[in-house]
Amino acid sequence: MNKFYKKWFFPFVIPAIVLFGIVVLVPFIIGVINSFSAWRGVYYKGGSNAFEAWVGLKNYVNAIQDEDFQHALGYTIVFTIVAVIAVNIVALAQALLINSIGHAIGLFRATFFLPNLLGGLAMGYIWLFIYENIFSKLLFGPDGLIPIDLLCNMTQDRWKNIIAMLIITVWQQSGYMMLIYTTGLANISRDYYEAAQIDGANAVQRFFYVTVPMLMPSFTIVFFMTLSGCFKMLDPNVALTNGEFDTRMLALQVMRVPADTSNNYGLAQAEAVLFFLMVAAVSVTQVVLTKRKEIEA
Amino acid sequence: MSRKFPKVIIYAVLIIGALVTLFPIVFLLINSMKSQTEIVKTPLALPKGLNLQYIAAAIEKIDLVPSFLVTLLITVVGVLLIVVISSAVAWMMVRYKGKASTVLLLCFTASMLIPFQALMYPLISEFDKMGLKNVPGLIIMYAGFGLSMSVFLYHGFIKSIPKSLEEAAIVDGANVFQVYTRVIMPLLKPTTATVAILNGMWLWNDFMLPFLVIGNKPLKTLTLSVYFAKAENGQYGNAWDLVFPAVLVSIVPIIVIFLILQKQIMKGVTAGAVKE
Repeated sequence: MNKFYKKWFFPFVIPAIVLFGIVVLVPFIIGVINSFSAWRGVYYKGGSNAFEAWVGLKNYVNAIQDEDFQHALGYTIVFTIVAVIAVNIVALAQALLINSIGHAIGLFRATFFLPNLLGGLAMGYIWLFIYENIFSKLLFGPDGLIPIDLLCNMTQDRWKNIIAMLIITVWQQSGYMMLIYTTGLANISRDYYEAAQIDGANAVQRFFYVTVPMLMPSFTIVFFMTLSGCFKMLDPNVALTNGEFDTRMLALQVMRVPADTSNNYGLAQAEAVLFFLMVAAVSVTQVVLTKRKEIEA
Repeated sequence: MSRKFPKVIIYAVLIIGALVTLFPIVFLLINSMKSQTEIVKTPLALPKGLNLQYIAAAIEKIDLVPSFLVTLLITVVGVLLIVVISSAVAWMMVRYKGKASTVLLLCFTASMLIPFQALMYPLISEFDKMGLKNVPGLIIMYAGFGLSMSVFLYHGFIKSIPKSLEEAAIVDGANVFQVYTRVIMPLLKPTTATVAILNGMWLWNDFMLPFLVIGNKPLKTLTLSVYFAKAENGQYGNAWDLVFPAVLVSIVPIIVIFLILQKQIMKGVTAGAVKE
């Protein structure tokens, strides 16, 4: 039987290898090489290939010193921290509340999940309109229902825009994460709660000493999914400000380098590789932590 | 919890949450039936009736029918390629216990760490040279970039399927394609659903890759149509009477599919997340 699989192994894997090679592996390797060269997109400055136009670490030094890159990194980190916390709290609250009712459970789950399926760019424009016309005028404007300056003209200010992106992110992601928490909650045996109750634990204690520890695997998944999702976020960023008012996140920054620097693709590629290293560090941490959890369990 | 929190309060909180969640979608629907002036002056007012003229005008003005068709084509062909190619390679990687399988699994898994930005510039320049900076090229890029996660999901599932079914079929004289289409693929249905949903959502909604590959050419995806409707008509204020209908056209198919297949979709995406 092994002969059969041996015989058909290559015909079945060749399409995947070819595709993977031309779309992922080769461009990735060329990208890393080009990040060390004076690449200008269609040509190399000072040579006919990357090695003749080799500039060593110059692009990386420039990337780290690039103020736009530094700002984008800081902005991305701040947004990611706030968004991960907010999405987690809202998702867990949705899961717990829906679990504690008896009717229309499926309806609530579907409603909260639905925004996750919709395009971040397209719906980002709808949110932009809501911020500009409903938030800034009717609801929270100077003549609005409850004047709150923080929620007015959010897309014209570096820090207020964090709130604007946060609302979209929570709206889009919390329903998905709620589903993962719901799966986690369903896996907690009722026995634990009964035992805790017999021992005299109140609702709050049961939450912190039974629910929270038993939800740790779901928490790990949700935490890292939101972490890498927010860190790589692009669409709402483009829709709301398109990077104006110093609001570029890293993904948008990498996209804008060639236009900013009259086609310094070498610099863009160096920033892209740095971006990759950061994303990879986050993901590897996740894998290591998840593996450790599995061993403990 | 229920003793401290009366159920009525929980229901009230959830209903308010659900209304807030649905608000942008209802808001979009309402304003797709209004003129530019009505949208900007009275955004919360209901339309004067079931008025589809602004949607029809936008469909005509920014060519949403071709956009819709090309987006559908890209999504369907892209997902089909991903499903066929990744299930085939994952099947062989599980069954053939050679070094090549181990190396492939390592490559696919490791490449899931790569964000698209890290390879997009060389990728576009390479495809440009091959004359593939177009819709077919875009589909190939999606098929290649969507491969890793899909192979990973299929690989995890096939590992749990006993070999005996395939072996029985082979003994009965089935050839490899019959085994693949009649034995393997039917068993893989749950994973195929997950793979198709996750990739389908990504392909339908994606902005960055079509932006880099197609840009502002006449035949563009729906997300690009929305982007350029917003960007180009923005000199004297945004053309919201184009943007709202364009967004509506791009999300209606998703909502319809979700209404029909919500259980499978929600199960599929959760399974995908938990396995990753």
